[in-house]
Amino acid sequence: MIKNPSHPKKNQRKVKQCKFTRAGLEYIDYKDVDTLQRFTNDQGKILPRRVTGTSAKHQRQLTTAIKRARFLSLMPYVAENLR
Amino acid sequence: MSKNYYEFTYIINPVLEEDMFKETVDKVNKLIEDNGGEIDEVDEWGLRQFAYDIDKKGSGYYVNMYFTAPAEAIASVERQLRIDDNVLRFLTLKYDAKMLRHRELQKKNEVPDIFAFENEDEETEEDDD
Repeated sequence: MIKNPSHPKKNQRKVKQCKFTRAGLEYIDYKDVDTLQRFTNDQGKILPRRVTGTSAKHQRQLTTAIKRARFLSLMPYVAENLR
Repeated sequence: MSKNYYEFTYIINPVLEEDMFKETVDKVNKLIEDNGGEIDEVDEWGLRQFAYDIDKKGSGYYVNMYFTAPAEAIASVERQLRIDDNVLRFLTLKYDAKMLRHRELQKKNEVPDIFAFENEDEETEEDDD
């Protein structure tokens, strides 16, 4: 938190919020690959909470969902880097 | 004997004749019904490209289904499918209360879109409960 009220960056600070909590989603579906893909990087790795702002509860669900999708080959375990 | 609601997804070998897909689907359905299950919905996704190769194959025929069955049925269904060479992979999920509520929403097509707020993010202060 920036305590100083006259700090120039005060109004630029973006408050991160969990997207799943905000939408009121109770269960993250492994079949919804498009959504899951937005929480992985281009190598297919799951993005950390500090990057996406997901709540702990939903991050756990998300991890399970991604791993299920990987098992059924809907998502890659490792994506090759195109160079 | 308690019955549970299950979701079941499996992948059929793509190197088969068209009518073999249907035959396999019928076989799986029959297998579940024989074990005391009741099928709710069968959704065939069709041929789909894999994200990585399974048994040296690049694509597969996906079938996603929902059914109610006694807990003992699952083990015997899975045992049968493990023997079956036409089924490359399968995933069974038992539905709990949360997932059931989600399924109801899905049926009504009311699953909340998690990226709906994306654009009005900047200025507005939303109070969530």
